[in-house]
Amino acid sequence: MKSAATIFLAAFLALSASWAAFVLAPQLQLGREPQAKATGTDNLYPVARPGLAKQGAEVYRSLGCVYCHSQQVGQEGVKCEVILTEAGTNASVTLAALAKLNTELGQPQTLAALPKVLMPVADVPTAVPIIKAIAAVGAKAEARVTPVGADISRGWGLRRSVAQDYAYDSPVQPGTRRFGPDLANVGLTKPDVNWHLRHLYAPATEIKGSTMPPYRFLFEKHKRGAKPSPDALQFADEPGFEIVPTDDARALAAYLVSLRADAPLVEAPFTAPTPAAPSTNAPVATNRVASLPYTASELLKLPESSK
Amino acid sequence: MNAEPKTCSATTEADPVSETTTVPMWLITLALVLLFLGAWVFDLRGGWFEPKVYGPYTSVADAGRFQPPPPDGPDVKRGKVLFEQNCALCHGNDGMGKPNQAPPLAGSEWVLATGVNRLIRIPLVGLNGPIKVNGQDWNLQMAAMGAQYSDDQLSDLLSYIRSAWGNKASPVTPEQVKKVRDDLKGRSQAYTVDELMKLPE
Ligand code: HEC
Ligand code: HEC
Repeated sequence: MKSAATIFLAAFLALSASWAAFVLAPQLQLGREPQAKATGTDNLYPVARPGLAKQGAEVYRSLGCVYCHSQQVGQEGVKCEVILTEAGTNASVTLAALAKLNTELGQPQTLAALPKVLMPVADVPTAVPIIKAIAAVGAKAEARVTPVGADISRGWGLRRSVAQDYAYDSPVQPGTRRFGPDLANVGLTKPDVNWHLRHLYAPATEIKGSTMPPYRFLFEKHKRGAKPSPDALQFADEPGFEIVPTDDARALAAYLVSLRADAPLVEAPFTAPTPAAPSTNAPVATNRVASLPYTASELLKLPESSK
Repeated sequence: MNAEPKTCSATTEADPVSETTTVPMWLITLALVLLFLGAWVFDLRGGWFEPKVYGPYTSVADAGRFQPPPPDGPDVKRGKVLFEQNCALCHGNDGMGKPNQAPPLAGSEWVLATGVNRLIRIPLVGLNGPIKVNGQDWNLQMAAMGAQYSDDQLSDLLSYIRSAWGNKASPVTPEQVKKVRDDLKGRSQAYTVDELMKLPE
């Protein structure tokens, strides 16, 4: 073999070039994703999974759930809309301002059910002047960014999956097949640990006609004694017996409810649904107390020099 | 044994020899066109290996078009962070104050004052002596806890305490902070309530 050296070199070059392109370059790009701040908050994302959920990731891996379930949500596009959130105090002024944007919006029924989608816009910067115009008359509007796509409309996520979502997973288990639904956000859609335990024990009790295999070996079945186990699942059709989840089952369920990619990120923007305002028992603005060195009427006479 | 003599006959065909042939021109052109198209598509949508670019966005700027706009005026979220780092120790994360440590900010007439001339001075140089907050008497000292902040930061912070915990008062602008800071003319001695009350609100 007189060209052994050439063949070796060529093979080496070909393999190392593809290793560099498919392993090294992605590793350099995404291998050390730092925690990032979720858009508009100071919350770091993602957070490490709690210990039990971390063990659950190993159970998930060992049972091969990944052969039937993906954990990656796709997104085909994005849409941006201006929505009216508050009508303001003077409805007719608000309607007049809305009519200037679009005559149809000037009808009273626009204000009937808020928040109301006013119009689709190309992007957030185009929405800003419209929002300002609405704010000028005392009403309130905002731009809402919603990802669109088949996975999103199936309710599998709020936005697409990005590398950041997997920063704490080793190995990542994005999966390739979807015999069952995508699980990237199953902790958002099904946050109940007990639901997952019952579903793992007998999928068909929770989802009619489920073809997911039951994972009964993750549970112990005992004759119910004088003192029933506090962890036992409640099944009506097993009188006299109790089904107790093992540590593996509990870890797996904890892992499943920890699967949630609900933070808006720079690379995957969306408008998070506004959480209900936390109830507060802080006092509301009180009137000035008369025994202070000055009274309210005195104060009003003072110039508001820096107002 | 019938050994045939090994002869070299002139009629046997010579071993085939590979000749150098030129690659046809059309193949080279096709490869170049494909390379060009590939590079073109990549240029349009690939974001040049930018790790923060994912479809459907084609560049960082493209994704930037869908980020929420920065808040108009002071940023109370940033103010909240500053407050929790620097004021919450005494006044509490809930703004309710702490017995014998600091009066409440929630519902405080000092915080909610219509004019903010006096309020801005308190974190800038501090406050000494008797004060009445929400009808309760206090007599303590507060150091210049906010002197190190820029005008922007202090306006974020004060806007936060004026809008959190059920407080509802107008935000404080950086210009208002700057005006007060200029007016202090380098004063570092803490105010007393009497002194503050002599100032316009
Ligand atoms: C043979 C393929 C298969 C395997 C293996 C499999 N599943 Fe499933 N899974 C399904 C199918 C099909 C469904 C849809 C029907 C249902 O919900 O029961 C499903 C549904 C689910 C759901 C409900 C999702 C939702 O949004 O409704 C969860 C959670 C789940 N599987 C978890 C698991 C876990 C954990 C494992 C590994 C222990 C696993 N699956 C293994 C096929 C599979
Ligand atoms: C070391 C504890 C401490 C810290 C930290 C502190 N304060 Fe105070 N603060 C006090 C005390 C004590 C008083 C009452 C002073 C007095 O009795 O004259 C006070 C009074 C006030 C008042 C007026 C009274 C009221 O409750 O409305 C305001 C406004 C105020 N502080 C704002 C701030 C801000 C803003 C910060 C952060 C930059 C801050 N404080 C940090 C201790 C503190």
